[in-house]
Amino acid sequence: MTWRLVVLLALGLAACGRDAAELKLALNWKPEPEFGGIFEAERLGSFAQRGLTVARTGGPGAPVVQMVTAKQVSFGIASADEVVLARDRGSDVVAIFATYQTCPQGLMTHAARGLGSLAALLASPGTLAVEPGLPYVKFLEKRYGFASQKVVPYSYSIGPFLTDPTLTQQVFVTAEPIAARRAQADPKVFLVAESGYNPYTAVVIAHGDTLRDDGARTAQLVAALREGWRSYLADPGPANALMGPLNPEMDAEAFRLAAEAQQPLVEAPGVALGSMSPERWAELARQLKELGLVGEVQPAERYFTNLE
Amino acid sequence: MDRAVAIALEGVHRTFRSESGGEVPALAGIDLAVAAGEFVALLGPSGCGKSTLLRLVAGLDRPERGAVRSAAGRVGMVFQDAHLLPWRDVLANVALPLELLGRRPAERRAQAAAAIEQVGLGDAAERYPAELSGGMRMRASLARALVTEPRLLLLDEPFAALDELTRMALDDELRRLWRAAGLTVLFVTHSIGEAAYLAERVVVLSRRPARVVLDHAVALPAERAATLRAEPAFARELGVLQDALRRGAALP
Amino acid sequence: MSTRTLAGVAPPVLTFVLGVALAELVIRALDVSPLILPRPSAVANAAIREAGPLGAALGQTARAVLAGLLLSSTLGVAAAVALAASPFMKRAFYPYAIFFQIVPIVAIAPLLVIWFGYGPRAVVAAAAVVSIFPVIANTLAGLLSVDPALADLFRLHGASRLATLWKLRLPWALPYLLTGLRIAAGLAVIGAIVGEFVGGGGLGVVVLGAMRQQRTDLVFAAIGYASLLGLALFGAVGLASRLALRHWHASETKR
Repeated sequence: MTWRLVVLLALGLAACGRDAAELKLALNWKPEPEFGGIFEAERLGSFAQRGLTVARTGGPGAPVVQMVTAKQVSFGIASADEVVLARDRGSDVVAIFATYQTCPQGLMTHAARGLGSLAALLASPGTLAVEPGLPYVKFLEKRYGFASQKVVPYSYSIGPFLTDPTLTQQVFVTAEPIAARRAQADPKVFLVAESGYNPYTAVVIAHGDTLRDDGARTAQLVAALREGWRSYLADPGPANALMGPLNPEMDAEAFRLAAEAQQPLVEAPGVALGSMSPERWAELARQLKELGLVGEVQPAERYFTNLE
Repeated sequence: MDRAVAIALEGVHRTFRSESGGEVPALAGIDLAVAAGEFVALLGPSGCGKSTLLRLVAGLDRPERGAVRSAAGRVGMVFQDAHLLPWRDVLANVALPLELLGRRPAERRAQAAAAIEQVGLGDAAERYPAELSGGMRMRASLARALVTEPRLLLLDEPFAALDELTRMALDDELRRLWRAAGLTVLFVTHSIGEAAYLAERVVVLSRRPARVVLDHAVALPAERAATLRAEPAFARELGVLQDALRRGAALP
Repeated sequence: MSTRTLAGVAPPVLTFVLGVALAELVIRALDVSPLILPRPSAVANAAIREAGPLGAALGQTARAVLAGLLLSSTLGVAAAVALAASPFMKRAFYPYAIFFQIVPIVAIAPLLVIWFGYGPRAVVAAAAVVSIFPVIANTLAGLLSVDPALADLFRLHGASRLATLWKLRLPWALPYLLTGLRIAAGLAVIGAIVGEFVGGGGLGVVVLGAMRQQRTDLVFAAIGYASLLGLALFGAVGLASRLALRHWHASETKR
């Protein structure tokens, strides 16, 4: 009799232990509207209500894909092309929630140059500041050619852009263009998506094992995120106020403008928040293979899972 | 015989300022006259200020009080270590003073070669200091001091670091060179035996600050050979000098 | 290859081969993800397959490193000579020389790009900034340690300050300078690559790109090429040291 009691107690304790086990979520940048839904979910208690303790970690430059692969964190934020690349190198990471339906990456140049399209931009001589090795940069190079551009590394500062009228730089539509306009520049932004390369971005990823072994809690996490994002899109104010102190480089106005700019990229007509389609993953994998960045295209279902 | 005065020191005082701001007196009232062609030894305990005195005579330093006068003419100097430039061979080292005087290369080489022969280093001209023994390096240093055909030769305990046999050989060598060139020699040492053997006249200095305790004409024959060291006259001279040194050590 | 050279080269080569073999076995056995730590065989593969672009990148970095070293050694020696001129000069300006040692190159590389523009000039500047201090410090130590008796000898024979500098003090400081250069060489490689992170070109860009594409094998291969550059420079300075000091210095004469 006592034996059974002990076993029950042990199981009960173990179950409690599991529920109380912290889920680490690694961000890949500083707190900003890109992660608004996450902060809003925290604020609303969406995680707690579902019995989840989510601990945020990471920051600019964090090797999120490596951290998830090594199971140092349960979840992380990456972009869809990183998922395809990582899987090609043998890492079992899977996308479970896509923040941006439209990729917010773009190229920003000065409006005064009078250029009307990506093709025109890249054909017009100037300096192009982009991070070396970014898949979408390779895509643009293959599609339009960089022969007229002096390609230099981008160091996450708009300083060079402000002082050089022929400089084009990579941007995240919610960040640099807003900062440039507030610095009295007149930028013209082209979304990379226009060129046909449109990976899901700010995607929440998890290790394949987490999905298999902890599927219930993962589904709960996704539900909480969806709840958070729905609320954030309706009113970003409160979550922005939470993020403000954690990101001194952006003031309240910058937060407001960024949240505004990203709205049309997060929502897409007829698509549930965060959900993904196999066709888009297949296309992305194909594009990356054509660029020579991956060796093989995996079946689309391997790259992502829509959890209801 | 009244020979011309080569060096004259009158009432020379020299005091150094230490790092902590205190004063270290090195020479306290030195009077000394050296005649041209004389071989004078300066004998005193370590640290008494003999080297300071030598540097004053060389013109490398100036006294606060008193006067240092030396007759015109070039000066050669030899230090306790040979102090050769390690990156030059013996010939280039010996030629250095001539180079600094602006003599032409061919002339320098010829004179340096001659000086090297003079000190018995004939076949070492192309060797580098690192390859030479201590005695050979000292010979090279001597040759360098003599290459400008100086009137005055100053030596600061040059043989102190060498072994006994080499030392004795170089002692004789030095006297021979002195005689041959008619040099005036001022030889600083703390060795009583060396002072007695080498010099015509020994000036004994007290401990710091240095004062002249004894100015003594050495009562030994003009021709000196190694066997002299075994003779009673030599021991007598040693006694005189030792005595003076003791007196000097006891001064305040 | 003489037996002596063989005896000198064999131990480190052997250690390297054994170390690499061990790493290969351990990584395979533990099934470490290639994203975290690539197998040596994968790194070697990448190093050979991409020898073309890696070699070209290495060439760019190497040119910047050499130019940077030339700059830092000439300016460094000049600075050391100026600092050695008087105790006042040393006390007044040496602390600012130390600035070059402590400033983190990662922080000022963007400034260098602003001042010199994108491209090789900023990279050369970064390599020079990072490598100048050991040259100054070591050369200064050498200049200040000149044998006082030799200085006396030069004065005795009426040598001018310039003659003393050229014939005594600079040659005296040469072994110290060469020691400083050994250190400066490795630092210049680091400085150049960090400069390239911001200014573009060379192995720095290869590393950034490879990281972005999750190609850790290529990252290590690029690091390998950079290490070869560092080794080659170190060897070159060592050779120069042996040649220059073969006659005279205790550290170089065969005993």
